[in-house]
Amino acid sequence: MSVPVEPPSQGANALRLHRQLAAIWATGPGVQRLAAVNHTVLGMRMMITSFLFFAIAGVLGMLTRVQLATPHAGFMDAETYNQVFTMHGSMMLFLFAIPMVESFAVYLTPKILGTRDFAFPRLTAYGYWCYLFGGTILTVSLILRAAPDGGWFMYTPLSSNVYTPGINADVWLLGITFVEISALSLAMEIVVSILKMRAPGMSLDRMPIFAWYILVTAMMMIVAFPPLILGSILLEVERAFGLPFFDPRRGGDPLLWQHLFWLFGHPDVYIIFLPMAGVLSTIIPVFARRPLVGYRAIVVAIIALAFLSFGIWVHHMFTVGIPHLALAFFSAGSAVVAVPTAIQFFAWLATLSHGRPRWDVPMLYVFGFFFVFTAGGLTGVMLAMVPFDWQAHDTYFVVAHMHYVVAGALAFPMLAAFYYWLPLLTGRTAVYKLSQPAFWLVFIGFNMTFFMMHLTGLLGMPRRIFTYRGDEGWNWLNLLSSVGGFVMTIGFALVAIDIVVQLRYGRRVRRNPWDSTTLEWAMPIPPAPYAFASLPRIGDETEGVAPGKLAARLARGDGYLGFTRNGWQETLGVHMTSGEPEQLIVLPRSTYLPLVTALVTCAAVLAMLFKFYLVSLALAFVTFGLFIYAGQSAGHARDYGPLPVGRGVSVPPHTEVAGAPAWLALICTLVANGTLFTSLVFGTFYLWIAAPNWPAAVTPEPSRLLALVTVVALAVAAAAARGSLRAAAADRHPHRWIGVAVLTLVIAIAADVTLIAGVTPHPREHALGATAAALLTYVGIHAGIGLLFLISNVLRIGAGFISPRRLTDLRLTRLWVDYTLATGIIALGLVLALPALVAMLGARP
Amino acid sequence: MNGRTLSPRRLWWLAVGFTIWCVALVILYALHAIGCAFGWSTGPLRMSLALVLLVHLVAIGWLWRYRAAANRDPGPERISTFMHTVVIWTLIAALVATVITFGPALLLTTCI
Repeated sequence: MSVPVEPPSQGANALRLHRQLAAIWATGPGVQRLAAVNHTVLGMRMMITSFLFFAIAGVLGMLTRVQLATPHAGFMDAETYNQVFTMHGSMMLFLFAIPMVESFAVYLTPKILGTRDFAFPRLTAYGYWCYLFGGTILTVSLILRAAPDGGWFMYTPLSSNVYTPGINADVWLLGITFVEISALSLAMEIVVSILKMRAPGMSLDRMPIFAWYILVTAMMMIVAFPPLILGSILLEVERAFGLPFFDPRRGGDPLLWQHLFWLFGHPDVYIIFLPMAGVLSTIIPVFARRPLVGYRAIVVAIIALAFLSFGIWVHHMFTVGIPHLALAFFSAGSAVVAVPTAIQFFAWLATLSHGRPRWDVPMLYVFGFFFVFTAGGLTGVMLAMVPFDWQAHDTYFVVAHMHYVVAGALAFPMLAAFYYWLPLLTGRTAVYKLSQPAFWLVFIGFNMTFFMMHLTGLLGMPRRIFTYRGDEGWNWLNLLSSVGGFVMTIGFALVAIDIVVQLRYGRRVRRNPWDSTTLEWAMPIPPAPYAFASLPRIGDETEGVAPGKLAARLARGDGYLGFTRNGWQETLGVHMTSGEPEQLIVLPRSTYLPLVTALVTCAAVLAMLFKFYLVSLALAFVTFGLFIYAGQSAGHARDYGPLPVGRGVSVPPHTEVAGAPAWLALICTLVANGTLFTSLVFGTFYLWIAAPNWPAAVTPEPSRLLALVTVVALAVAAAAARGSLRAAAADRHPHRWIGVAVLTLVIAIAADVTLIAGVTPHPREHALGATAAALLTYVGIHAGIGLLFLISNVLRIGAGFISPRRLTDLRLTRLWVDYTLATGIIALGLVLALPALVAMLGARP
Repeated sequence: MNGRTLSPRRLWWLAVGFTIWCVALVILYALHAIGCAFGWSTGPLRMSLALVLLVHLVAIGWLWRYRAAANRDPGPERISTFMHTVVIWTLIAALVATVITFGPALLLTTCI
């Protein structure tokens, strides 16, 4: 039944509307700040946190340069040096680069899209806290001198417990995985928000190019992170429980780690680059004073780049002994990937050459980017050629290339972005007397530091050595690198001072100081917690309207949702392609739940780190329980029907539509999950075909009966989940169906656990048994999570959150159980096929 | 709003061309590894790799032709025209990438 609600207050003036909205959206003062779920607050926090980690990692980088400035330096011993360079790389990549680009996405994306917040504010907050706690674990380990010391990519067997027996490697594996949970959760939420929560009328072709970049990047993260998460889990399981996935003596293979790592590692370069390219594609047209040239070509280029970047992971492994023909695939792919990058470059240059460019501080950094990234791209093409890579592999040439493409692609556009958006963040503009010398110090220092490394690399200096003899011809180059490093650091310090000075003494600016055309300038600066007092209509009527003029209209409430209702945090959900309004999304308000959940997750990680495995398991269950608890208050306990949202439009709340954000979020989750599962299947086949010491002494003999029971039970559970959905849609009680689903999932789990207990060879004895156990465990865990879905369904039905119109919960459960069935069939089929696969090995020459 | 909206399912088309490129890479890499591990002779191994490549080229080429024909009149909406252009060019880019990435490599020595 649709119940009318209080009519929107018409004609509310801007100030009254501001007060009404601020009362609903604002984060409370004092300790209530810990309950913040607002994207503006969290985006800013992520930025500041990532800068703190950048500062720590930068200091570590400087320590390595002090050590390498002269031969035979006694500044650090080898053990300390190993920890310092490992933490420098790990912190820069995992605690600075990825979170920094995410913080830009979190802070800017809703504003640029003309909406009020992300789809899952509590998930944003949970992601932030996970990031902070994971980073803190890593940082504290450094202080305690127990930091990871096996290099930022943690190659096995060096990182196995034979060669790294302490907790150093565990800190990396658990801490980084913890941070990756944060990155993944934010990526999913970014995808859903961009596809479902734009300003009305913002069809995909009208979407600012920045959003295309962020959308593609977030999708890449969803697919890129799971292989590393899997690798980290497998290596931690090997270290903790002795399952030999990477131990060649027992049928494992260290190269499996390299595959899993670089399946993440290479796309990661583009995950860092693409958002910054989005920044450039946003800034350059503003300073060129003309629209971006080649919008469609750029969209094609970033899609191509996203896929190609996944297909060239082996170019980090050219020296491991892969046949030439296979190497040629990856060599050619590595060269081809330069083409879509070049398309973007030429689009930017064409925009500048066809416009009326003006110079300002952000453009200095754009210039710096062009110079540095072109150099890094060219050395990248050199390294893509196998014969050259064989010569330069593991030398400082690779270190130089890596810093030019990753640091250059990130640092220069990032600083351009800071200077460009600082007026939005603070309402003030930069003090140019500081910002210009700061740029030149960073630019000169950067090139002085890293260009020399090309030369030391070509002269044969291996990476990661903690000292050198002094007769190799590297001395003056290393000294120049170190001096350059300090010049660059002074430059960054000046940037930091500039920003602090600006907060106090910067010139106050009018709205939209750069004459930009994107929507983040169509709001008060600094932004209000609700971002837009009313949501703009994008279309021919607003095309070409200056954001300043639009802002005044929106502040008066002339757009959509220019009123308050029921104290709800409201925004609009739109059709994915056309951008037409189709649902009213009511967002959750501030809560401590994300912080509490992240603290419990952190405790689970710490318990694992200190080998309290049962405690860790219990805390993991508490974490799942908190997620269920959080879900209990989501949505509405009654039907509303279509509600007015302004401009004569009425749409139903998100709880009453099929395409609610939660549905798309679960699809994203399953894509990530499916990638992890595919990586596990890949790992099984990889060990079968490539690992030494196969076949095992003991032949696997999985029980076909138990496998059949598991699959049939999962199939019945899937059918019952569908039955519960049909029953609820027909306004009948779905409890009986849910009961059947619960019972069959319990049977599936029991059969699966029995299968795991009977795996031969024993999972500790041979990788064959370990992979079988991993596949079966995957099925069991997913069936267990299916049970949690069903428990949540029962609780929510009892609390009145499910009705024939409000079926999202049951649809999510059906999708999850379907996925569990599909992956269960594949996993159990593979386990049953293992004896035949092992028998085939006998036919090898 | 003019009544006709482009189905969200059409978004999958943006990924189709390069997904086939990825599938080609995985199959070629796996087939090559299996062939070398089990000592297949050069001729059959090279032929099977070429066949796999050809199948993927035909698939992308057919999709290009299909989309080009199906969208000759992409409809009145700007979004339809935009999607048509972007999908066609991703398919063309994927086809070219498939040829360049995998074609010449098949002429090399197979298992050294």
